[in-house]
Amino acid sequence: MSVFKPQFPESGQLANYPPVDQWDDWTEYDPDAWPQKVTKNYMLVPTVCFNCEAACGLLAYVDKEDMRIRKFEGNPAHPGSRGRNCAKGPATINQVHDPERILYPLKRTGPRGSGQWERTTWDEVLDSLAARIRKALQENRRTEVMYHVGRPGHDGYMDRVLQAWGVDGHNSHTNVCSSAARLGYTLWQGADRPSPDHANSRFMLLISAHLETGHYFNPHAQRIIEGKISGAKIAVIDTRLSNTASRADYWLSSWPGSEPAILLAMANVILQEDRYNRDFMEKWVNWQQYMSAEHPEQDATFDNFIAAIKDFYASYTPEFAEQESGVEASQIVAVARDIAAAGTAFASHVWRSAASGNEGGWQVSRCLTFLGVLTGSIGTRGGTSPNSWNKFAPAPYIKPPPQQVWSELLWPREYPLAHHEMSILLPHFLKEGRGKVDTYFTRVYNPVWTNPDGASWIEMLSDEEQVGMHAALTPVWSETAWFADYVLPMGNGAERHDLMSQETQAGAWIAFRQPVMRVAREKNGDAVEFTYEANPGEVWEEDEFWIELSWRIDPDGSLGVREFFESPYRPGEKLTISEYYQWIFENSVPGLPEAAEKENITPLAYMRKYGAFEVKHDTYAIHENPLSAEELAGAEVDPDSGKVSKNGEVLGVEVNGQAVEGFHTPSRKLEFFSDTLKEFKWSEYAVPTYIKSHVHRENIDHGKGEYVLLPTFRLPTLIHTRAGNAKWLYEISHTNPLWVHPQDAERLAFETGELARVNTEIGHFVIRVWVTEGIRPGIVACSHHLGRWRLSKENGGERWSTAHVDFKQVGDGQWFMRQLEGVGPFESDDPDSQRIWWKESGVHQNMTFPVHPDPVSGMHCWHQKVRVEAAAADDQYGDVFVDTNKSHEVYLEWLKKARPAEGANALRRPLWMPRPVKPAAEVYRVP
Amino acid sequence: MRFGFLIDNRKCIGCHACTVACKSEHDVPLGVYRTWVKYVETGHFPDNRRHFTVLRCNHCDDAPCIPSCPVTALYRRDQDGIVDFDPERCIGCKACLQACPYDALHIDPDTHTAAKCNFCAHRVEVGLEPSCQVVCPTQAIVSGDLDDPTSYISKLISREPVQVRKPEKGTVPKLFYIDADESTLTPSAATPAKDYGIWNEMPNANANGNGHNPAILEDSENLLQDLVAKSAKTVYDVEHPAPWGWKVSAYIWTKSIAAGAFLLPAAGFALGLVSDNPLLAWGGPILALIFLAITAGLLVWDLKRPDRFYTILIRPQWRSWVAIGTFILLFFGAVAGLSILAALVGASAIVNVLWWPGGLLAILAAIYTGFLFAQSKARDLWLSPALPVHLLVQAAFAGAASLAILGVVVETTEQTEEFLRTVLLWGLIANLFIILVGELWLPHGTRDAAKAAQMIWRGQYSQRFWAGVVGVGHAVPVILLIAIPLGLAPAAAILAGACALLGLLLFEDIWIRAGQALPLS
Repeated sequence: MSVFKPQFPESGQLANYPPVDQWDDWTEYDPDAWPQKVTKNYMLVPTVCFNCEAACGLLAYVDKEDMRIRKFEGNPAHPGSRGRNCAKGPATINQVHDPERILYPLKRTGPRGSGQWERTTWDEVLDSLAARIRKALQENRRTEVMYHVGRPGHDGYMDRVLQAWGVDGHNSHTNVCSSAARLGYTLWQGADRPSPDHANSRFMLLISAHLETGHYFNPHAQRIIEGKISGAKIAVIDTRLSNTASRADYWLSSWPGSEPAILLAMANVILQEDRYNRDFMEKWVNWQQYMSAEHPEQDATFDNFIAAIKDFYASYTPEFAEQESGVEASQIVAVARDIAAAGTAFASHVWRSAASGNEGGWQVSRCLTFLGVLTGSIGTRGGTSPNSWNKFAPAPYIKPPPQQVWSELLWPREYPLAHHEMSILLPHFLKEGRGKVDTYFTRVYNPVWTNPDGASWIEMLSDEEQVGMHAALTPVWSETAWFADYVLPMGNGAERHDLMSQETQAGAWIAFRQPVMRVAREKNGDAVEFTYEANPGEVWEEDEFWIELSWRIDPDGSLGVREFFESPYRPGEKLTISEYYQWIFENSVPGLPEAAEKENITPLAYMRKYGAFEVKHDTYAIHENPLSAEELAGAEVDPDSGKVSKNGEVLGVEVNGQAVEGFHTPSRKLEFFSDTLKEFKWSEYAVPTYIKSHVHRENIDHGKGEYVLLPTFRLPTLIHTRAGNAKWLYEISHTNPLWVHPQDAERLAFETGELARVNTEIGHFVIRVWVTEGIRPGIVACSHHLGRWRLSKENGGERWSTAHVDFKQVGDGQWFMRQLEGVGPFESDDPDSQRIWWKESGVHQNMTFPVHPDPVSGMHCWHQKVRVEAAAADDQYGDVFVDTNKSHEVYLEWLKKARPAEGANALRRPLWMPRPVKPAAEVYRVP
Repeated sequence: MRFGFLIDNRKCIGCHACTVACKSEHDVPLGVYRTWVKYVETGHFPDNRRHFTVLRCNHCDDAPCIPSCPVTALYRRDQDGIVDFDPERCIGCKACLQACPYDALHIDPDTHTAAKCNFCAHRVEVGLEPSCQVVCPTQAIVSGDLDDPTSYISKLISREPVQVRKPEKGTVPKLFYIDADESTLTPSAATPAKDYGIWNEMPNANANGNGHNPAILEDSENLLQDLVAKSAKTVYDVEHPAPWGWKVSAYIWTKSIAAGAFLLPAAGFALGLVSDNPLLAWGGPILALIFLAITAGLLVWDLKRPDRFYTILIRPQWRSWVAIGTFILLFFGAVAGLSILAALVGASAIVNVLWWPGGLLAILAAIYTGFLFAQSKARDLWLSPALPVHLLVQAAFAGAASLAILGVVVETTEQTEEFLRTVLLWGLIANLFIILVGELWLPHGTRDAAKAAQMIWRGQYSQRFWAGVVGVGHAVPVILLIAIPLGLAPAAAILAGACALLGLLLFEDIWIRAGQALPLS
């Protein structure tokens, strides 16, 4: 045994991480024994955090003595997170050692939702699910198998599985999350997310709380602050004083929904003051298309275009915006001029927030991008690029063909422009008899709690006629898992394989999530066939689960499924998860094989060692990449549009005589004017405009106790319903009081801590008031991260974070929840469970919201018009009442706003628009 | 080499990653924190802001926690200036919690010993940065060698305006802040939240066994409000329960009785009152010994690690007044015991000689607590220079009162009774004067001391103070004692003594509570 020599540097210069070459054998002193110098020997295994979507790197410290993970730090080799993390990263250790976790697959024994469970085996689970799906495929019921994902944690793995099965069954959380912003971005640039280069910007305009949450919290916070320290200014538009707004040079507290008015007023200032980037716009905006469609009487010149849009936006004066938003006109002008001064180094971002709160919220990202277009800061250093440039999802070996079927439960014809699946409407669709779901997988998804109108989800999930089988794949108990037939424990960040990439900077990387204990055991020479053998209990990982399930669906290959799960290295034999990634790393990641070769290891070994790889950096002006001679050979250029195409496929666009890549829109340019919107009957929105929100101030009568409830904000320490297993995070944040401005508190005679009843369209909830200057008068706010509950005293929810409630039907469609017991100490093998000092878990507000599908983007518009009053005498903290009949009525009202694709052969959806798990073009037409 | 921290508040986003990384590195139990982030909101919509500040041990070059520790569990590392601690040595006396002006120490519920940030000394020794620094997304936490002018931390400190917390405490802190808002650094500059914070129950709303209810400063009383009409409200903070409770106030009381019960006979001996007077000759030393035993019992009971009490004796830290006091009490007890023993065997010459060292030790036993309070650098109220005299006066009248009561059952003389009554009367008058003039009225050195004093005479403790301490504890016995020479039964002296003792106990309780009522962080 080697003698441990501490490496204290004489210079006093400390390192942030042990050197990579010592990761397999790293010794440091045991902090528990300190100041006794007891050494601990670790193996350091990189993986990826599985809390939020940012995919930051983690480094697991595996104690070689007891082969137990001791702690998680950041992974310095990860180009996005660069070794740093938010609070959720190190809290992963709580999730791994959580005494409340589900360790074995469970099968229900009583009626669905009755909470009676027995332990079962993975074999039984796989056989039973495989038999159902096999039957559905054999009977060609290919829309009845549905996979509903909350946090995917991977890029494309599941798309491949679903297309191998040939089903149209991908459902997501996106339309309670980001559909709206995505539509706005897609319409402009064909890519549905922004990738701001904050670090190099001179001005940042943020419409989400990017320094505490948002896409992508830690990596973006790093770069926003870098930019700030280098001299950039920050403006934040947020009704609520977020931590981000607190760090900003300008905080614009907007009336919810008025944000596009503010942004267009800024655009107007830039236009009227002639501070737009003429060169960029002339080259890259589809102004010719606009002129010919909207002003055919005029010459299609750029000057005429500018004159036309100056005229069009003239009414969006800063004063008008002030009237709409409450933000001072002078502040709007000041920000507009700073943006203009920043020029091509203007970075901006919106993700959920205003876009997800309001009817017409998709115009927020559209109007924001308009500012980027005006300043010519799209794709520049310090500007904002399409995310597709900076996200790299490598292709797996053999891809199944697109499915030949269209699910109208997911993509109903009422919402042809819905950016993602109309997931919020599923219970209503099933109630209306539009179809059924035979086999329903929820994966790290908790619609009963997270979605609006959760009681309708309970009604749906409780009805075996509507949902034949429900398997909940989850690392942690959830309100939804309680209504499953199988509860299938899946790994946390350190217990699974995934490959991820996110557009966190001007560059692209991939990060490899690894089952740490499996990797550590394999390094020790132990053979591990399945990850659950190395994980706690029999916690598995989805990747292997899907391979095994697919194999059993089609054991003989007769359904055409099996071939996609055969090894690329051992023909005819079942794929292993290592082989799946081995192939990708060897064949699909440019530069990786070379980097591995330099170290004399295989690409897979390289990724197991470093956990991440930088694919490219300094990705600017990709739209100006010239098409290669090879691409151009045999290509045609359309004389009107300049589009370059070959064999019916558009490759790029000719700009100033040069054929370049362009943007992935129908015109290959930035689409100020969207022909698609016109085509799909929304011609009034063909250019960026302001749509008055459903919570516009004229709809709110304070005299009647009416307020706008802003229910969408996240906390820096938590992540949706997946952080309830992290005691250190809940210790910091555990309740979600209703933010009320002192003026309103006076009007309502509230003091902090008192109970308020908040009435929505379909029910009410009872919550504590928190009086703060941090919210615009007239608005109340409540974080959506808290208010978790469980139906059993001992089971079905993390006792760190859930209240034990009674929740039952008290009338036809009427549901009433009362907390029986808040959070409190409990017995477990973790002594900390006896030290829980907080008592509240928050109040579940989402349950009382009806669905509000935006007629264009399909996004659930979260903001609520509510009536706030003092709690009634018999109200108790945490009470929730809802009426699902009323929620169905609200659904029908909002459905009326939609403009369906009508008539035979009508397109269900624009062919060019991205769609998750895109089916074959043939099924895009209504039969 | 001298390691220090710098928190760059231009960069801090209040994300709490440092808090959690520290919990993970050191496996810090729920409810206590080695580092935490305080949130304060200032201003009025829309001209308002939320400020974040990372709070923790300041690794002071002149760390007051170190001399306060009776068992050398806290120490400054010579090689790098880190203030580290050894939980194996700690006896859980909490003197360090009272000494630290920064609220940096807590009692670990697992080990029942004091703990705090130790700069991750175990990491530093293998060449790694502290875990809070490594995790910080925005690199707002900087550590490094302050002696090296080329280190990043030295450069930042040289170039940017920096602040430290409570420089007036003279601790030479090595935790610097760039751009910190005063409302987050000075506890009295923000109004503490009541019950609920931004997303949390505020700790004072949770009396979880050891919780307490710190005084709530009203808006109009917050320092910034006074200075610049800046409303500042704490919206996130962690709990710091008051370290000392009734056992400490009771100990001061029993110790005063013990000291007085010996001191008065010693004085009586000098005045020629003792011979043939069993109350003074026997009663005093026996009473002193009994109350010393109770005192020792309370002291040990108050330790979080009573099993390690003996280590004060074998590994004392001679700068600690807990340690010095322990030896004073030990010797005092020994002399009192010896005196009783000598009296039992009839060695009156020895008894007579012992009055002198015993009397001296009784004085020391009475007053050393004043030095102990002075070592509680965090608690401004207790830093009163009047304390040693105050404690001596308390001991004198407590001794007189208890001996007067004992006089009911033990034979005494008229002369002695009068002596005791005189001491009691003048002791009470002197004590009231010291309390009202010396402790409360005399202008205080700091705002916190003044606030704490205000709490006593017109704040949350005023009722108990005026009715209990001044009324029952002083006015009633003084009136009774004055009335005795005017014809009231001498037995009234017993009632006066009882009232005086009750008043003293109440005063100690208020003194201990008020001293700890204001937040330190």
